[in-house]
Amino acid sequence: MPGFSSGGVGGGVGGPASTPPRPFRPSRYTSSYGNNTVCHHFVVPSFFILSRCPWLSEYFSSVIPIYNAVIFLFTLANFCMATFMDPGVFPRAEEDEDKEDDFRAPLHKTVEIKGIQVRMKWCSTCRFYRPPRCSHCSVCDNCVEDFDHHCPWVNNCIGRRNYRYFFLFLLSLTTHIMDVFGFGLVYVLHHRQQLDTPHAAVTMAVMCVAGLFFIPVAGLTGFHIVLVARGRTTNEQVTGKFRGGVNPFTNGCLRNITHVLCSSQAPRYMGRWRRPLSVEVQPPFLRPPLTEAQLEAKVLDNGIQNDQHSTRSKSSLDQMESQSADAEPPPPPKPELHYPSLPRADTEESSLLTEAPPTPSMYKYRPAFNSPGRNHPAFTTPNKVHVNLHLQRWPWRPWWACWGGVKGHVRLLPDWALLHLLPIPSGGSHSSSMRSAHTAHNPLATLHSEGTTDTSYKSLANQTPRNGSLSYDSLLTPSESPEFESVVSPSTPLQGYTSPFLSAQIAQQREGQLLQGSATFSSPHRAYLHAVSPPPPSSCGPLETHLLQHNQDSSSRAPRNPFTSHSSPGAQIFCCLCSFVVLFEIELTPFLLCPPLPNGYPIRSTSRPVLANHTTSKPGGGVKKVTGVGGTTYEISV
Amino acid sequence: MATEFHNLQELRHSASLETKVFIQRDYTEGTVCRFQTKFPSELDNRIERTLLEETVKTLNSYYVEAEKIGGQSYLEGCLACATAYIIFLCMETRYEKVLRKISGYIQEQNEKIYAPRGLLLTDPIERGMRVVSFTVLSVQLEISIFEDQGSGTSSPSSSSMSSTGSAR
Repeated sequence: MPGFSSGGVGGGVGGPASTPPRPFRPSRYTSSYGNNTVCHHFVVPSFFILSRCPWLSEYFSSVIPIYNAVIFLFTLANFCMATFMDPGVFPRAEEDEDKEDDFRAPLHKTVEIKGIQVRMKWCSTCRFYRPPRCSHCSVCDNCVEDFDHHCPWVNNCIGRRNYRYFFLFLLSLTTHIMDVFGFGLVYVLHHRQQLDTPHAAVTMAVMCVAGLFFIPVAGLTGFHIVLVARGRTTNEQVTGKFRGGVNPFTNGCLRNITHVLCSSQAPRYMGRWRRPLSVEVQPPFLRPPLTEAQLEAKVLDNGIQNDQHSTRSKSSLDQMESQSADAEPPPPPKPELHYPSLPRADTEESSLLTEAPPTPSMYKYRPAFNSPGRNHPAFTTPNKVHVNLHLQRWPWRPWWACWGGVKGHVRLLPDWALLHLLPIPSGGSHSSSMRSAHTAHNPLATLHSEGTTDTSYKSLANQTPRNGSLSYDSLLTPSESPEFESVVSPSTPLQGYTSPFLSAQIAQQREGQLLQGSATFSSPHRAYLHAVSPPPPSSCGPLETHLLQHNQDSSSRAPRNPFTSHSSPGAQIFCCLCSFVVLFEIELTPFLLCPPLPNGYPIRSTSRPVLANHTTSKPGGGVKKVTGVGGTTYEISV
Repeated sequence: MATEFHNLQELRHSASLETKVFIQRDYTEGTVCRFQTKFPSELDNRIERTLLEETVKTLNSYYVEAEKIGGQSYLEGCLACATAYIIFLCMETRYEKVLRKISGYIQEQNEKIYAPRGLLLTDPIERGMRVVSFTVLSVQLEISIFEDQGSGTSSPSSSSMSSTGSAR
């Protein structure tokens, strides 16, 4: 059989036929460790086997070559599966999932597993609390389920989905090496008188190589046998998580082994076809019958709601709605967005009033209407509303991002590649730029982060992007967070990465410019404005924003200001305050001028059918003019 | 300049507001896939507790069935080993079969129970099986707002905004 070369076996294994083929990852083939593995573990012993098989089959039995072939194929198959299979990568959380992105959201969430407290850490890259046993791989830049380790030999993470293949690969490789060594020994022992022949010499050389490699491979195999028996991952063993303690994830030795070897293949989360939900949603919506306590609360609510109406600020829409009361019977009920829940006897059932978000801001997730369908004649009209929801856009990456495999976002690509952006389906994406802009409110907190190791918050973790993410945060992060990821070396700028250290330099440089005065303020000001400006209503909004930010990064990379590196703490605090004030103003300004829709809906301009009574610019009688937000004037025909 | 006027009686309805409610995973029994049956308070006035709990319990039972280590999964593994895993190209694994059943169940639940209540249940596999998300739909009015150009030299620009978002 031909020797295995590093350019060999392609993808296509490791998934059922219904899912799309896994993206081709040429990076695996160019790994030097992978080449080592391939050459030493496959090529040499295979060549040996090929040349000795005739003699062995004649002298002993013809089963030997078949056996060797089977072991070799088994090793190869497991190697391929371990190399090419998705280890169980979690897709990035969508924006709507992260509602607590403020100071108060903790960095860790504790959960009890079989009576043992386990901490779930917030992953700032993937934007969710990592499930137990999940860890973020810094090489692949993904959170991996049941993360074991990142194997340099296969250049892939070993996680829930491919741990079995990795384990079997180790076992079969150990067996294969033992076979090669054993059969070589048999040959040599039978040809003691002919040791000077080339055949014997080659055999002995191969035996030496096999013997040498047997030691580390067998060691690793033994280590993993122990791990499997104990129900631990390499990560847990190496970090000493359960040293002297109890492992909550073990179910006994036998069950652990069966779980590894006999469980059904876990599904992949990335690269799944999502079928669009096409459901007809027709108001009015059914409501559950109210309990007595709820009815009581409702009675209380009515009075209180009326009070809120009168105390609300006189916005134009209020006036419109009071006028609409003339045109249409009862106006739609308002959500209590701006007023916190009132101090009454709130029982658990009386949640009719939705609570206002703790820090009302423009970027915040907004709760729904209280009860839009309740007794409102306007909603009982039989208008069928078709909701064709392509709600879940699975982690879409443009085609050229697939070349890096599941390595995260577009950050691997150089600038020129970012210019060839493909539009992505928007939707929640508009809010992403707003949200990332929102987190940049906290440079003040970040600069004092050195002392806050114990009381760390998500917002601090979100300040420091991993491996130079192209978010707005990276432009503004002045320093490192103490909760920086464990496994790693400071990232070196590769392939268009922006290192977090660099972003810190940029921020320091900007603060230095602020200190120097407003003369130099204009350029970073413009840079911030450029980065913060709301994305155009086309569908490639956030990617364009990333492009802008990346360009800003690369353009501002050259001038480095050593001035700020030796500034005193007092000056640093002053810089923070200035930058905080400036950022606050900058961020709010575009949105004050052009208030966005909730949940990322772009502002649309619709063309309405012109009515018969349109007039000239000066409105005549029968039209009321009301002023509204941002200087706009509404003309309402009554 | 033509200023457009609209009668308020022509205001349209559109279901455009979506909010999300999430049910997190229940890790009390380890890393097996289970979701919390605790009723989220945001859905208190949208759906009966029993219906939701039953849905989540059924989902949990499906996942237990998917992850069950028994004869079928063992045979599947042996067959895969014997064929050098080529069988995965042709055959659907047990887990995938159960996931198809789950997505059919979710579709059915959405049509029968959740859509009439203005909710939409989404398949947890789409979020990496970390959460079950409910999309809470609400119907709201669409109102057009016109800018008065004052001098009356140019045509007015119009923008439509939701009634909730613009009251600042």
